[in-house]
Amino acid sequence: MTSPSSRVQSTSSQPVKPEPNTPPGNKLSKPPGPWRIAWAAFRRNPYAMAGLVVLSFFVLAGLFAPFLTSYDPAKIDLMAANLKAGSEGHLLGTDELGRDTFTRLLYSSRVSLLVGFLVALGSVLIGSVVGSISGYFGGFIDTVFMRLVDVMNSIPLLFLNILVLAIFGTEFRYLIMVLVLTSWMSVARLVRGNFLQLREMQYVEAAKAIGVSNWGIIFRHLLRNASFPIIVNATLMVGGAILSESALSYLGLGIKAPQTSWGLMLSNAQEFMLVDPMQAVYPGLCILIVVLAVNFIGDGIQDALNPRKNTTLIGRRLDRWRKSFSKSGT
Amino acid sequence: MTEFIIRRLLQSVLVLFLITILTFSLIHLAPGGPFQIMLSPGLSPEAMETQARNLGLYDPVPVQYFRWLGDLLQGDLGYTFKNHIPVGQIIWPTVSNTIVLMGAAWFLTLLISIPWGIYNSTRVYSLSDQSASFISYLGFAMPTFWFGIILQQVFSLKLDWLPLSDMYTMGKEGDLGDLLMHLILPVTVLTLGFLAAYVKYSRASMLEVLHQDYIRTARAKGVREGRVIYKHALRNALIPIITVVALDLPLLVAGAALTENVFNWPGMGRLFVEMAVAREYSVLMAITMIVAVIVIVGNFVADVLYAVVDPRVQLNKRGGKAA
Repeated sequence: MTSPSSRVQSTSSQPVKPEPNTPPGNKLSKPPGPWRIAWAAFRRNPYAMAGLVVLSFFVLAGLFAPFLTSYDPAKIDLMAANLKAGSEGHLLGTDELGRDTFTRLLYSSRVSLLVGFLVALGSVLIGSVVGSISGYFGGFIDTVFMRLVDVMNSIPLLFLNILVLAIFGTEFRYLIMVLVLTSWMSVARLVRGNFLQLREMQYVEAAKAIGVSNWGIIFRHLLRNASFPIIVNATLMVGGAILSESALSYLGLGIKAPQTSWGLMLSNAQEFMLVDPMQAVYPGLCILIVVLAVNFIGDGIQDALNPRKNTTLIGRRLDRWRKSFSKSGT
Repeated sequence: MTEFIIRRLLQSVLVLFLITILTFSLIHLAPGGPFQIMLSPGLSPEAMETQARNLGLYDPVPVQYFRWLGDLLQGDLGYTFKNHIPVGQIIWPTVSNTIVLMGAAWFLTLLISIPWGIYNSTRVYSLSDQSASFISYLGFAMPTFWFGIILQQVFSLKLDWLPLSDMYTMGKEGDLGDLLMHLILPVTVLTLGFLAAYVKYSRASMLEVLHQDYIRTARAKGVREGRVIYKHALRNALIPIITVVALDLPLLVAGAALTENVFNWPGMGRLFVEMAVAREYSVLMAITMIVAVIVIVGNFVADVLYAVVDPRVQLNKRGGKAA
């Protein structure tokens, strides 16, 4: 480590000093970070990329639903009820109340994806906090949290969802809340397991030695190192949440009438199965495709983030150090 | 061993106790008072007061909890709010109906998945293996109730081969052949849902064992391949499979709930949804408890079984599962 003052002097005396740490084409020579390596691996996975394309397609369809269709998803038009697919302006026909099926599919994709992402986000937040505290501190608090996880896992989650929704009513925010409260356990277990290993690492000891607080260690050091499996788990959770939402809506305990969701559409379609069997096909197909896409993406991320391949982290750290020193020099 | 069983038993009882608290508090969080619905409508406010007092609704919550728990321990599940029918009278018949459906699906799943998984473990990446992983992707991503609806459309409405829903045709109650016909579709749906995970699991379990040294030794000694796989490897591979099968009981019960609703099967899951919509809290509490007991007993048996079958399990370690 050269003293900065001497380097400043030397740079001022010779203005064209070649910088050994930053050769020409700096961007190319910089070792790629773990995220970039992961992305490169992800891009080579055809299933994962296909999943990403399909998911983006549904996200865009949901976002721009009002521009893609001129119908109102909730508008009842009994004159146009039960039209077959392809009939005058109704691409996929209409349901028993004359609502345009294609429009409802678009708006449903909004609801389902929103539920999926919100639930995954919420579960990751709660699960990470519980898992970190449990794994880092251990002892009594760990026992309490793990018994709680045991309790939650001993009631089939669908039953628990139904029970809570029956008690509190089926508003959208309750639906999200309930699904989060019944899906954080896997993240908590995962984070706890990771923390049990990570907390024995030397850098944790080092951080403790220089006086980093417990929360500093948890959030700055350990959670970052546990982030890969959390991300994989969160991705797969999106699919699970979409399936749960559709199941609850199908049972009449999820999304309710003026709003629309694929599960709700299926429940309507089953009642009018004799009139138009195709109405039951589209929403289920949408769920299947979206969940399949999300799962492919999750698998792709898992392969891409395989920790055993991940050896360049040290290289990147070194690079950052070198950079910070060269900056202080010039 | 005895010590392990006792500790595991105490743990199960503790979890069960916590579940009763959870269920009871959930019901008590219901907006507008949980037992509002119990009071007969159309009464004067004073009469309502008296009725509420007689029902014990003004007692402190812990008192109410222990009264409920005491009744529960004596097998008294309470009465429905609306018609004042004993809850047990409604629930027990549906429990047996669910067991018929679940048992059939479970049996079929194990019958197909374990041999298939073993076969795939000996021929990794073969056509059979690939198709198993294809099915597993479908099984994980497909809404089971949608699959049920599609099957109904194809096999009962279009082809008219199988009955659409219910357990028996009207007037044919108790007829075994009729029951079997009604079982085919829901069992197919359930089996496809579970098959994926089980094939994957038994394959992985077998592969793990097949890579161990003693298998190589057995092959080196010249033991026939069939004997290596079905005698030496399978015995050890079955241990984790048994555990997973027992641990998956909650999934089976929950999965059956959706399928029961699709096929109008008069089981516990359909009753639960029906009662949730009607807000019959005493029935909901009772079913939750019954299901929880099933699950906890399943987990307990799985753990003990695991300890009995696998000599590597160190019983004196906490949790009892560390090998």
